[in-house]
Amino acid sequence: MSQTLEKTFRKVLVANRGEIAVRILRALRERGIRGAVIYSEPDRTGLPVRLADEAYPIGPAPSQQSYLRAEAIVELAREIGADALHPGYGFLSERAELARLCRDAGVTFIGPPPEAIDAMGSKVASRRLMIDAGVPVVPGGRDPLPDLESARAAAGEIGYPVMLKAAAGGGGKGMRRIGAPEDLAAAYRGARSEAEASFGDGSVYLEKFLVEPRHVEIQILADAHGHVVSLGERECSLQRRHQKVVEEAPSPAVDADLRRRMGEAAVQAAAAVGYVNAGTVEFMLTGDGGPDSEFYFLEMNTRLQVEHPVTELVTGLDLVDWQLRIAQGEALPEPLVQRLQAGVEPQGHAIEVRLYAEDPYRRFVPSPGVIEVLRLPEGPGVRNDCGVYEGSEVTIHYDPMLAKLIVWAEDRPRALARLRRALAETRVEGIRTNIPLFEALLEDEDFLAGRMDITMLDRKLEAGELRPPATADLDTEGDLAILAAVLVHHQRAHRQSASPAPHGGSRSRWAQAGRRETLRSSPWS
Amino acid sequence: MELIVLRGDRQETVTVRRTDGGSANPGAGYEVTIGDRTYRVDARSTRPVAGAWLLSMRIDGGRHHEVAVHRDAGSRGAASGTYQVAVGSVADTVEVLDPLTHRARVAHEAVGRGGAERVTAYMPGRVVDVLVEEGAEVEAGQGVVVLEAMKMENEIQAEHPGVIRKLFVEAGQTVEGGDPLFEIE
Repeated sequence: MSQTLEKTFRKVLVANRGEIAVRILRALRERGIRGAVIYSEPDRTGLPVRLADEAYPIGPAPSQQSYLRAEAIVELAREIGADALHPGYGFLSERAELARLCRDAGVTFIGPPPEAIDAMGSKVASRRLMIDAGVPVVPGGRDPLPDLESARAAAGEIGYPVMLKAAAGGGGKGMRRIGAPEDLAAAYRGARSEAEASFGDGSVYLEKFLVEPRHVEIQILADAHGHVVSLGERECSLQRRHQKVVEEAPSPAVDADLRRRMGEAAVQAAAAVGYVNAGTVEFMLTGDGGPDSEFYFLEMNTRLQVEHPVTELVTGLDLVDWQLRIAQGEALPEPLVQRLQAGVEPQGHAIEVRLYAEDPYRRFVPSPGVIEVLRLPEGPGVRNDCGVYEGSEVTIHYDPMLAKLIVWAEDRPRALARLRRALAETRVEGIRTNIPLFEALLEDEDFLAGRMDITMLDRKLEAGELRPPATADLDTEGDLAILAAVLVHHQRAHRQSASPAPHGGSRSRWAQAGRRETLRSSPWS
Repeated sequence: MELIVLRGDRQETVTVRRTDGGSANPGAGYEVTIGDRTYRVDARSTRPVAGAWLLSMRIDGGRHHEVAVHRDAGSRGAASGTYQVAVGSVADTVEVLDPLTHRARVAHEAVGRGGAERVTAYMPGRVVDVLVEEGAEVEAGQGVVVLEAMKMENEIQAEHPGVIRKLFVEAGQTVEGGDPLFEIE
């Protein structure tokens, strides 16, 4: 179509850090585009700088003084002659201001137009837009209900169960869940008086109560030529305090028909705001995908998602590469558009786990430090998108995500088995990680059966479930750990007490191997 | 070599003896006796990295296990050491003492029972707030110091009731992992 509008990037500035900066650099290199990165002071030694063609300091550790300096970043992009800027996720990725600054500086923003970011940025305004576009939203409204009769009428219209909420409220005060019409009167009076007592305002409103909903989101791609397509869903219900922990595609609760309907809604949502580039429309799904299942628009993420790899693995499409091509003005090819519009069929099953430097059994406290040993899984169907390396330091300044382990297999049971295998291969020492939590999840009946909702992980953790699974040991009391500690101790003691003879003499071959290693690089100490 | 090993509530006397391993078990052979159980172990460290070992252990002929061992900073000298040992993905603390050190410690503990306990920072971070003053009586579970790391605040609490004898930190200060925070008696 508009071939004349197409341009070719020669250099792109990656305005991010960690694994996503690495992911974008990879896509750039595959396209023969120079990759430039920004880095904060502690990230000078990070993996992105090591993999980049160009690297520029952007400030000290705190994000406010480095990765969030929109004007300085765009000015840098202009100065170094970058054709485009990729914001990654987090940081400035959903700030319309960044897209505007780029536009003004003549640097292509690899993402949607600022108007689309603005339109989706406000909960209230985007809800109104979605209603107009025919995208289902959670039924109910913010209009106060002056009396019991109006509440009864509203509840009947929305359908039970409903949730009464204080208009002035927050913190759960004045909130009542109502399962059936006969409970409405008492709940209404109770909620009003509680709201009156807590906020000095007894106004209440009604909303549909979603019973243990799933979080299911649709990946879309939109080009600048009017094509918008759905790449299918991701199941992201496993969340800890609203933070996604495990994501998979396809969702165990979504069949071809539901996938088509959700995809169409997502495409409508994107089209309604003039969306261009990759984006994600998040939905709440009730009824577990069964006949009574309903889905409701939650929000649109106007950027690349952390969990984009699962979609890549089941569609065979490289999302970051498509982001670059779309930003260069390329149109989605007609055959691809037609195939996706006919209904995307996920190939196989992909699962991603987010590896965090945190201790899942000590209230998830972050675990910064030096990564002394790092062995990531490899082999069939395993991908790891990692932002650290052996010897690198995890600092206290940023999100503690180290890497994403993603597995693909022909179906979900095989993908689960592969994930179990991949986790068993993984070794991260020097810091604590949440790997034991994933191992525990892989023994959880609900997760294995594909049953989940957005409250499940928090609920199970609260109940003390998901304890680390027992590891194979020599006996029930754990002699294996003692053996290992004692042998290392013995080795150390032996070495320290021995005379510093150059070639070890009578020493063990273990020590000799260690000594040979010492001569080359790191000592036994 | 005879050693005392402490792991959780468990205390074991352990002996380690080097063997040549024989033809069935060439290489780095050890015979380790834990209590009344004896294991023949062929151990190799696949990665001699500073402070961390990834051991490949063949036990009693063929059974193989890979175990990560990390020496705690602060366990100086060769006589004793504290190790974080990860048989699977979860690390556990194992303390290895030579018999003399162990005897000295038992004697010391008998005298010093009821003494002050020093609580240290378990991660590097910034002290956001100090919630009590020196000399304050605290209850078990009461917050004493608030530490911030990676955008998360974590309250360091008193594990048992007592008196805060000494505070080593003040709000705004950064600490390294292992730095003392307060002393409770």
